[in-house]
Amino acid sequence: MANKTLKKDQVVSLLNKVAATYQLIAPVADDSVVMFKPLSSAEGVVFDYVNSVLPPKDYFFPQTEQMFKFSTRNNQIVINPPDPVKERVLFGIRPCDVQSIIAMDKVFDREYKDTYYLDKRAKTTIIAVSCTEPLPTCFCTSVGGSPTSAPGADLLLTDVGDVYLVEVLSEKGEAFVQKFSEFFGNENGEGAKKAEVEKAVAAKFVRTTSLEGVKAKLDNMFEHPYWERLARKCLGCACCTYVCPTCHCFDICDFNSNGFEGERFRCWDSCMFADYTRMAGGHNPRPTKKERVRNRFLHKLKYSWDRYGLGHCVGCGRCSRECPVNLDIYTVISDVKEVDANV
Amino acid sequence: MPMCDNCQNPLIPHPATITKIIDETPDVKTFQVVFDDPEIQKNFRPKPGQVAQFSVIGVGEATISITSALPRIIKENMVEFSIKKVGRLTTVIHELEVGSKVAIRGPYGTHFPYEMMKGKDLLFIGGGIGLAPLRSLIDFVLDEENRDQYGKVDIIYGARSKADLCFKYDLFDRWPKCKDTNVYVTIDREEPGWDGHVGFVPSYLEELNPSPENRVAITCGPPIMIKFVLQGLEKMGYKDDQVITTLELKMKCGIGKCGRCNIGYKYVCVDGPVFSLAQLRELPPEF
Repeated sequence: MANKTLKKDQVVSLLNKVAATYQLIAPVADDSVVMFKPLSSAEGVVFDYVNSVLPPKDYFFPQTEQMFKFSTRNNQIVINPPDPVKERVLFGIRPCDVQSIIAMDKVFDREYKDTYYLDKRAKTTIIAVSCTEPLPTCFCTSVGGSPTSAPGADLLLTDVGDVYLVEVLSEKGEAFVQKFSEFFGNENGEGAKKAEVEKAVAAKFVRTTSLEGVKAKLDNMFEHPYWERLARKCLGCACCTYVCPTCHCFDICDFNSNGFEGERFRCWDSCMFADYTRMAGGHNPRPTKKERVRNRFLHKLKYSWDRYGLGHCVGCGRCSRECPVNLDIYTVISDVKEVDANV
Repeated sequence: MPMCDNCQNPLIPHPATITKIIDETPDVKTFQVVFDDPEIQKNFRPKPGQVAQFSVIGVGEATISITSALPRIIKENMVEFSIKKVGRLTTVIHELEVGSKVAIRGPYGTHFPYEMMKGKDLLFIGGGIGLAPLRSLIDFVLDEENRDQYGKVDIIYGARSKADLCFKYDLFDRWPKCKDTNVYVTIDREEPGWDGHVGFVPSYLEELNPSPENRVAITCGPPIMIKFVLQGLEKMGYKDDQVITTLELKMKCGIGKCGRCNIGYKYVCVDGPVFSLAQLRELPPEF
């Protein structure tokens, strides 16, 4: 479908109209912390943010999610799965986070279909917004991404002055544009302006490397002393996995409210915790931080390629920003390119 | 765009009832279980070596190997799980009674390559509760419908003490009576009333020294036993594709999503639990 335009001063009206029919999820600033929140109107939506502290992954894979309610009264098990979610519009996510959703699709839409995730995924229209100001920690271009393209989103908005250029990337995006057609104009040369925006933003990246040779090197680095050195400063706090848009590990627990009724839920878990792999009998295949740190970086930069054919680091820089000891995946990528794999 | 119209939620377990409990050892019980929905019972057709997620609703869920073999699951219309009391959930499971409700989903994972084993002699090497997953294949092979398709069956099994031997009725009664089947049992230390072999499983294996000629070895037990058994088999001349093992790592979802059972890029729940030694050699030694 042909590109469209959306006047900047029309966005709030559009989102208000969206919020009347769909669940609107958009970035808002709470005491300067930008978060994606479900909103009943466009009031408070921020447009000039660089990236949210937490990724919008919560809206596909919630931090805590009910799997089913149960009753075991009278020695009979009754299981009630939760109701499907409503149609939603996720507005304002960045291209790196769109790529992270593509990465999570590969996990949840495989030999077994994760219906909790897929229900939310199918009912969400994703409106991404190109970045114009990368943070110093941003490195999407180093891992194959781009701040101004978002394959996998339904619409991509790029700020080209007074208007957003609207790229319609899917049928769902097309349906959205048709439904709210009064807000969208026809493109008139804005596509050319986008090329200038692209060039300007690309020049602003501080961190520029590439993944070239990294996977091949990691294929033979399992026993390398580098991991021991790297793990020494890790606190095992798991912050990196908590803010990561592609981390998908979860625990499953039962909450029993009165002995007969309760719910089974899943919640985010982390490979950085010792209990994550520790078995009831005591055996733990990753007993120390060395094995756990190694597993995390190999998972992001090697195992994901082996298993899913894409990387599980999208260059959002969140783990680099939030790690209390500056254990930084960009530095790891750079280090891996440098170290002698045969040590 | 991923879609999931009308697909089944694989994380919802199916209610089932315990119909019989067999005390195997002081800390292992075998639970015979029947699904409450006869359709689900009819369609539950695990292959030898597969696992299931076993829930006590309100307490939790764990991955447990299915210890009974398919012919018997069909004939007797029930499924067996042998469960060692080790943690919070299994302690609750051990307190369940006949008639108690549980919930099960599965079967999951890879199965023993019983097609590839046809025409070959089979050597089973088990330790402790590690006999539970092997038993599904032993019973499959020894079932009268399948027995003629396989050669000699040798079973080497050990536990800490006589009391800790699982499936005594199989080891000392049922299996030795089967055609071309030998059972070799050992316990770790001497004890009164035991006139059988004494010693660890890996050393008993080397003593018996079964030839690798046209034979497949299948092993399961504590990680340390598996490690020495694999070394022993290699010394005896077994090739990597003649050695099959089944692994256990901590699992939650059983369907390759929750992340924790990875060995390198493989997940034990969907790519295992059954691996040949040749397959394991391609993975990092992290299990």
